[in-house]
Amino acid sequence: MSNLKVNIAGVEFKNPVITASGTFGFGKEYGEFYPLSALGGICTKGLTLKKREGNPPPRVAETYGGMLNSVGLQNPGIEHYLAEDDKRLAKEDVVVIANIAGSTLEDYIAIAERINDSHADMVELNISCPNVKQGGMAFGVLPKNVEEVTRAVKNVCRKPVITKLSPNVSCIADNARAAESGGADAVSLINTLSGMAVNYRTRRPVLANNNGGLSGPCVKPVALKMVWECYNAVKIPIIGLGGITCYTDVLEFMICGARAVQVGTANFSDPTAAYDIAKDLEKYVEENDVDINDLVGTLILN
Amino acid sequence: MKDRQAIVVKNTRVADEIWSMTLRFDDLDEIKGAQFLDIKLPDRSKILRRPFCICDFDAAEKTVEVCYAVVGGGTKVLTEAKEGDKLNVLLPLGNGYSPKGKKIMLIGGGMGAAVLPAVVTANPDKEFYAYIGFANAGKVVLEKQLADNCTNVTVATDDGSYGKKGFVTTVAREAYDAIQPDEIFVCGPEVMYRAIKKTFEGVKTPVYVSLEQRMGCGIGACLVCNCKVKRADGEGYVRVCKDGPVFLLDEVVL
Ligand SMILES: Cc1cc2nc3c(=O)[nH]c(=O)nc-3n(C[C@H](O)[C@H](O)[C@H](O)COP(=O)(O)OP(=O)(O)OC[C@H]3O[C@@H](n4cnc5c(N)ncnc54)[C@H](O)[C@@H]3O)c2cc1C
Ligand SMILES: Cc1cc2nc3c(=O)[nH]c(=O)nc-3n(C[C@H](O)[C@H](O)[C@H](O)COP(=O)(O)O)c2cc1C
Ligand code: FES
Repeated sequence: MSNLKVNIAGVEFKNPVITASGTFGFGKEYGEFYPLSALGGICTKGLTLKKREGNPPPRVAETYGGMLNSVGLQNPGIEHYLAEDDKRLAKEDVVVIANIAGSTLEDYIAIAERINDSHADMVELNISCPNVKQGGMAFGVLPKNVEEVTRAVKNVCRKPVITKLSPNVSCIADNARAAESGGADAVSLINTLSGMAVNYRTRRPVLANNNGGLSGPCVKPVALKMVWECYNAVKIPIIGLGGITCYTDVLEFMICGARAVQVGTANFSDPTAAYDIAKDLEKYVEENDVDINDLVGTLILN
Repeated sequence: MKDRQAIVVKNTRVADEIWSMTLRFDDLDEIKGAQFLDIKLPDRSKILRRPFCICDFDAAEKTVEVCYAVVGGGTKVLTEAKEGDKLNVLLPLGNGYSPKGKKIMLIGGGMGAAVLPAVVTANPDKEFYAYIGFANAGKVVLEKQLADNCTNVTVATDDGSYGKKGFVTTVAREAYDAIQPDEIFVCGPEVMYRAIKKTFEGVKTPVYVSLEQRMGCGIGACLVCNCKVKRADGEGYVRVCKDGPVFLLDEVVL
């Protein structure tokens, strides 16, 4: 019998399509294009304890089949989210995942505690941010730090925790294992790949911040391989993302081991991208009479 | 604001590296002056849409005109669009500019002039005095189109090869005392806004400007298009695509 529902850490999604953090705001703008209830879930913009202004513009550079961004975690802060967006999102029939970020371990703990008071269904840890106490190296680089930050949040957070893995590491499977050891209920991957765009005339990087995070269709092959590697390393569910633009991309990610997926940059090319993908998936499972869960991890290696 | 399919009715070169494209829609929302649209390019390697001012529109015909300079790969691809081609277009976007006063001075620099005709079309009950400036005679566009519905149109070129010689900001400042406009609306590169700040110093008339910034989503969700403004509650970033593109010049941190 055809089925599109998936379950991650006890949370049921009506379909595996979730919008990716930072590309969808808090759902307000895209909610004018289609009902959010058509999606499995939405991930909020990365939330920090205090309001953050982010990096100076320009913050975006288009690259071949992708883009770099250096938003720098601009967000109104967790208190503003709780007061302004939380209740509005709670009324929507869609799983809400609060994406959180910090500059110290204490930040993550404090913000995870505040999230307990929200209506969010799950928490996603963005660990690609620089750790100010460790010379700015991202929390998500060394497996021991991944485990530490995941455990710290798990200790205080009453909601299921997804650790979002950075691809800018030597072995992502080790980091997935570290997240699992730290108690993560799931992992999501990939966050953006570190990159640079250069203007040959000015001899300067295009982004004011010099470096940025690469996303969009060009990163899909990297993401697919990493999802497959993590699928073979951990038992907890995997949420796959990176360059998804259509329903067949979703099928590829699921075959590589993802239980659900996130759609990010594609929202910019087409404001209804996530909606269209969810509808196309529905058609696919009906026409082929499949349970989407049966695809997960069915990759046949040559 | 909707993502709509448009049919290309016309796409022609109108000056040096400047093209004009007319798009027809099945359905068109009400358009304010100084709003913009976001075009999805047929080339899939270019994943971001390209934002352009709604240069002019015809509500009855359901057509919109875009006047664009060919500056890179995306605008090059646009010149290849043929009559009858289909394009996905998000519109109308941004806050737009709806003048409150009666006498309005319009100042446009280079492609910034492309925003002015729609301001005039959307506000038929106002009196417009337009000042448009270009680098040289080969770049002059939109003069006739503006002349149809403005009380006065003055063209300036930096090298004097057409119209008055000199920067349009200076030419407009010289005319200001005689016109005594209720509002001034400016669109052009950032250097022009700095020039306006200087030349119009001490002038009490409110000056509105339309900003440009590189964009991602175009609808207010991704926060890549920010610019800095100074308001009563301090300095902070706002979104050009959603909170703008039109701001009071006094607020903008240049
Ligand atoms: C609100 C708004 C209104 C605009 N109106 C007009 C108009 O009426 N006529 C016109 O000719 N141009 C206008 N522009 C500028 C126009 O968007 C750029 O010239 C165009 O995107 C360049 O694309 P490209 O691929 O040819 O250039 P490339 O330099 O190859 O583009 C690379 C990337 O940078 C972005 N980019 C480059 N220049 C600009 C710019 N000046 N502003 C914003 N993004 C830029 C592109 O969108 C693309 O994502 C407007 C920009 C904004 C933000
Ligand atoms: C403009 C922009 C902002 C982003 N902000 C965040 C963020 O705040 N937190 C986070 O975990 N990921 C953020 N990301 C990363 C995306 O959620 C996603 O991991 C990445 O873009 C890859 O997916 P995609 O190719 O489908 O976009 C951002 C991406 C973009 C393009
Ligand atoms: S372009 Fe996304 S917020 Fe303005």
